[in-house]
Amino acid sequence: MERFRANLMLCAGTGCVASGATKVRAALEKELKKRGLKEEITVVLTGCNGYCAQGPVMSVLPDEIFYQSLTVEEVPKLVEEHFLKGRPYEKLMFKEPEKKLAIPLMKDIPFFKHQVLRVLRNKGLIDPEKIEEYIARDGYQAAAKALTQMTSEEVIKVIKDSGLRGRGGAGFPTGLKWEFASKVQSKVKYMLCNGDEGDPGAFMDRSVMEADPHAVIEGMIIGAKAIEAHNGYIYVRAEYPLAVKRLQMAIEQCYDAGLLGKNILDSGFDFDLEIYQGAGAFVCGEETALMRSIEGKRGMPRPRPPFPAHKGLWDKPSVLNNVETLAQIPLIILNGSGWYRSLGTEKSSGTKVFALTGAVNNIGLIEVPMGTPLRTIIYDIGGGIKKGRKFKAVQMGGPSGGCIPESLLDLPVTYEDIVKTGAIMGSGGMVVMDDNNCMVSIAKFFLEFTADESCGKCVPCRVGTRILLDMLADITEGRGKEDDIETLQDLSRDIITSSLCGLGQTAPNPILTTIRYFMDEYESHISQKWCKAGVCRDLCTFFIDEELCKGCGACLRACPSKAIIGEKKKPHKIIQEVCVYCRTCYETCKFNSIKILPAGAHEPKHMLVETKT
Amino acid sequence: MIELTINDKKITVEKGTTILQAALKNGIKIPNLCYDKRLSPYGACRLCVVEVEGQTRLFASCSSLAENGMVVKTDTPKLRKIRQTVLELMLVHHPLDCPVCDKAGECNLQDLTYEYGKTETRFIRHRKESPPDVRGPLVELSSNRCILCGKCVRICDEHQGRGALGLIGRGFPTVVQPAFGEILECDYCGQCIDICPTGALLGKPSKFKARAWFLEEKDTICPFCGCGCTLTLGIREGEILRSRGKEDNGISEGNLCGRGRFGFDYIYSENRLKTPLIRKNGELVPASWDEALVYISDNLRYIMTAHGSSSISAIGSHRCTNEDNYMLQKFMRDVIGSDNIDSSAVFGYALVEKAWEMAFGENRHKIKLKSPFGKEVIFILESDLSITHPVFALNILRAKKEGSHLIVADSRETKLTRHGSQWLRIKPGTGAALLNGIMKIIIDKGLFDRQMVSSRYFRNLEAVLKDYTPQAVCRITGLNEEELITAAEAYVRAKSRMLSLSISVSENTKGLDTILAATNLVNLLNDSPDTLQIPAEYCNTQGAYQMGVRPISHQLSAISYQPEGKDTLEMLYNEDSAIHALYIMGDDPVITFPDSTKIINRLRALDFLVVQDIALTETAKLAHVVLPASSWAEKDGTFTNAEGITQKVCKVVAPTGQSMPDWQIIRNLALRMGKDIGVRNLENIQKEINSSFSYQLSAISYQPCFNPVNYTSAEEPDKEYPLTMVIRDVLQHSGSMSTRSKALDLVVSEALLEINEEDAKRQGILDNSHVKVSSRHGTVYLKARISDEVHEGNVFVSTHFPHARINNLLYPPSNGLSALCTVKVEAVKHP
Repeated sequence: MERFRANLMLCAGTGCVASGATKVRAALEKELKKRGLKEEITVVLTGCNGYCAQGPVMSVLPDEIFYQSLTVEEVPKLVEEHFLKGRPYEKLMFKEPEKKLAIPLMKDIPFFKHQVLRVLRNKGLIDPEKIEEYIARDGYQAAAKALTQMTSEEVIKVIKDSGLRGRGGAGFPTGLKWEFASKVQSKVKYMLCNGDEGDPGAFMDRSVMEADPHAVIEGMIIGAKAIEAHNGYIYVRAEYPLAVKRLQMAIEQCYDAGLLGKNILDSGFDFDLEIYQGAGAFVCGEETALMRSIEGKRGMPRPRPPFPAHKGLWDKPSVLNNVETLAQIPLIILNGSGWYRSLGTEKSSGTKVFALTGAVNNIGLIEVPMGTPLRTIIYDIGGGIKKGRKFKAVQMGGPSGGCIPESLLDLPVTYEDIVKTGAIMGSGGMVVMDDNNCMVSIAKFFLEFTADESCGKCVPCRVGTRILLDMLADITEGRGKEDDIETLQDLSRDIITSSLCGLGQTAPNPILTTIRYFMDEYESHISQKWCKAGVCRDLCTFFIDEELCKGCGACLRACPSKAIIGEKKKPHKIIQEVCVYCRTCYETCKFNSIKILPAGAHEPKHMLVETKT
Repeated sequence: MIELTINDKKITVEKGTTILQAALKNGIKIPNLCYDKRLSPYGACRLCVVEVEGQTRLFASCSSLAENGMVVKTDTPKLRKIRQTVLELMLVHHPLDCPVCDKAGECNLQDLTYEYGKTETRFIRHRKESPPDVRGPLVELSSNRCILCGKCVRICDEHQGRGALGLIGRGFPTVVQPAFGEILECDYCGQCIDICPTGALLGKPSKFKARAWFLEEKDTICPFCGCGCTLTLGIREGEILRSRGKEDNGISEGNLCGRGRFGFDYIYSENRLKTPLIRKNGELVPASWDEALVYISDNLRYIMTAHGSSSISAIGSHRCTNEDNYMLQKFMRDVIGSDNIDSSAVFGYALVEKAWEMAFGENRHKIKLKSPFGKEVIFILESDLSITHPVFALNILRAKKEGSHLIVADSRETKLTRHGSQWLRIKPGTGAALLNGIMKIIIDKGLFDRQMVSSRYFRNLEAVLKDYTPQAVCRITGLNEEELITAAEAYVRAKSRMLSLSISVSENTKGLDTILAATNLVNLLNDSPDTLQIPAEYCNTQGAYQMGVRPISHQLSAISYQPEGKDTLEMLYNEDSAIHALYIMGDDPVITFPDSTKIINRLRALDFLVVQDIALTETAKLAHVVLPASSWAEKDGTFTNAEGITQKVCKVVAPTGQSMPDWQIIRNLALRMGKDIGVRNLENIQKEINSSFSYQLSAISYQPCFNPVNYTSAEEPDKEYPLTMVIRDVLQHSGSMSTRSKALDLVVSEALLEINEEDAKRQGILDNSHVKVSSRHGTVYLKARISDEVHEGNVFVSTHFPHARINNLLYPPSNGLSALCTVKVEAVKHP
């Protein structure tokens, strides 16, 4: 293996590629060559580093110096300073927000400091396209141990003892699932991986599949051994081409290395694995629908029982685990269940990966021990709310989840605590919302998603979600009626009780939680026709408070509709007839002088007259 | 056994029973819209939810298994509330067009809404944009009435094995449609109509004809194939408007094919006979019953005197009741004094009976419609049972689904080959060689029952089979050795087996030899004769045969006839048979029997021909006297199906014109001829039948015996006639009677020559173009249909359609062999 003085671990995750990592790589290589450093320093493309907000990012090994927001223009300077002169380049380092001091080392940056990496252990450290790098980080040791030194029962016992729960959302104990399937007698069984991540804004599984595909495969080999399955599929949505490519490469490497196929590692155990690309229907993340989809049929859930552990894919006993669940398996086998339980709580052990997005400063992929309070995640790791705004709610669990208000921010993140709020742990989407958000619109957004993604099989989900969506649309457009809230809740409960699969059984959660915590917003939408956040265009009017307006002209310049008039240093006015309710003035004003009032408030005829003259 | 409590009632059911099934079996109603016992649980309508004590979630009873100690409640305020909401949601986009919907009055959605729904809805909101209706010739799909229970999609796919309908789209806009939204082209079985819980799928012929509550429903037996399905006919003001299957009704358990469902309207055909007709100056002119019967009686008496009783013969009918057939044979034997009586069974069922006697020493072959269930291997030989016996074939498909290994040997791609585990694509007419090949493999590998060595003619069999090495058989059948050996081993190693084939006048790939080869295989493995399932062709083929409509029926009567009677082949094909008069009841040999030219000449040469039928058939047109008979729906009687079960056929509508039941006509004729045969009503006949046949059915000792047969090739294709023509039924027709059904004619109304694309190309034949088809016997003009179901070198035609005169091309089989015929096909040049 070649040796280098320094390795530049450039993130090539989807986020960083989008912000220009590919160009930065070319620039880096060009510059290194120009400076004659090509033999000494190498650029390694890694999977997602997680700190997507500051992309493209790069860490320098072995110094562990972290650079962010790289640009092509800054590359020559960076190379010159750091690699020629040996002075780490402060300009591209993370700055501590208050005193603006540069923090050079990755581990000192708050975003990383509070995280514990288990699932994401190899992120940014290895080249995911090279099996050797995975092996160098203890890869496939666990598989070897499970195949050569352990019985199926022992494997299952370790996993059961670890308390690992399915990371796909419902949190079913993984060891128990394996045990059910292992007890069913059948020549043919299937070990399946669910990579059909579909929640809006969630990208945990994609990152794992892209950054560390071998961890998933190793988890599957161990699972296959546990249930005695000799065939497996990884179900990945076709919208994840990079994940598909990396997994495919990894599978081929495994076959070449004798880690898949016949007689793996001379253990006498056979396991064949292939990828099945899904067409991207959300419902195919539901296990029975996913299996139907692999069978080549229309992806629709079927009633359970029979459970997949008895009759799954092609009516054979099958186990389906989520990507993140599988990636933890090798660690548990290697380090034992006690080690795994050392983090987390009694009922929720280990760590959980979240995709932190929305109105926080540090958006990105994070991994924290179970039981970490929401506040730590949002304020310490996430760096607080953007532009110093007020926190309003955090949405967890995607379309199946709910919105958790500020009063519950000290809640530890565990399966059981989150469920009490009406939200669910889900697969790990975490969307932070500030006071610019209208909670009715948020509920509507998620219902639009579920109504669209409902497979159409059972009545409550097919028609019910559509009715809920229509009612929310009515409320946000000013057609809400007095008894709508009651009807929404009543229908929501009926849909939850009577739907066939998890999609319908959870689809009304966003409505129920927003009504529970933000009832006043619904009421003001319905009775006052007033969206206080100014999001629902039909339910707001924008005014400039003449007493607060300094006449700075910022809103006037920003208004895309040229609806604001006024002279410098004198209070401005909004011409209501041409206002398009885009909220730009509201966001621009530094003096808090833009006020949002109910639709049609203060019919401003006198202003119109003034403008004419 | 599982014990559970439903609504305070203690119930014991078998393990594996769902809560819904347990409830239904015990008379407890649980509402549902997507459950059907023929289909796997679907769980979509959510109406069947129940509460289980100790469980917070609700259980969909259609898919939850009953468990020991379960305490189930099926009707609680909570459940009523859920059902109310679900129905409210369904009605959001179900148009309340009940006043113009044929289903109203017998609509499950309507009934459940009446029971559970509320009078007002909270959701008068956005409806689904009305998707376009799907129209086909017989089935109409009004998508806006559809509640997406998926029953039609599933019955078509899971049960019928057709899959013509699918769910298109996702979520709220989902619709049921044929692929690509085209018109519905399918088997036209109409099972989707019966299973639809709303008015989304309706039969087109009965559209807007009657409100459900004005229809009087009566059960009778289907007049087409040998399955003997129960039809529930809907009648209004003396007219049959529709036919349907009712759940669990009859031996068909509510299943019907398109013939049974739509074909009944042949009785309303325009050329139904309303009065007797007598030929005067070469023309058939209407006459009174008196006149006609006197005329017949005089002529028959004259011929009896001039040429003797044995110069008169009769042909009975698989379409007529047992009573009709019994009366015909009684008339022939007791009044005329002739044993010359037979039917179309000579081409089919009679061969089976003959083989049975030769091989097993038994004299009555019956099938069991349910015999496919639980068989490890099902082997179908050169038969498209999905077409000839659709409801029997449904059981084969179900057995396959439940795990049977289905081997289908056929030259043509059929529904069974598509669903089969193994398809042996043999050359047409080589079934006997294939069976011989399989037996050879079994003997060589020592896999047969050693006991059978001592059976009669085992050594002969061994000797004959010597030439049927895998290589030789593959040369004949066109298979490769591996598939032959695999099939043979799968068949022989199974713990339970069924071997099935069909044989009839309307198919020419198999003859007596094939059946004998099949019996040899059964005996070789020391299987019971039940292993072989050869269904009788038509609704009363077996009945007519049992009634003595066949020669050599000394068993039936104390008098023995010398000489023994002549069979159909003698009567119709032998110029020297010394037959001077022929009485044909309910058959149309000119159209349905091979070599029509010969038959026409033969009939024309007769001194006297009487045809008694419901319509003016091609055969009737040659008669001296034509008598109008009542159709199956216009008379009482019985049919005996392929299972040997005798079922009641009911008079549901009034006779057409002056027509009379066949038995009554014959009784009157007998009276006119001065002989009172002692029958005044049906009960008399039935009593007589019961006493006549009591001894005939006594068991003959079981003596398995081998009847080695050599495969004799049928007409081999050559340069001049390069294609092998195979005659087979089409799904929508049965015999020639169904071609008088307007409904069925909407689907297929002409004989099409199905030809492989390569053969068509070679001859410059385009799809749907006219072609000239010639054999050594004759020439006909047909329309060609290019089909990938047909193998190169073969063409397929059906015989049902009178104007096509396919039988001009054919010759009658001799010596029980198959009667494949070679043809050449040329494109017709349009001037």
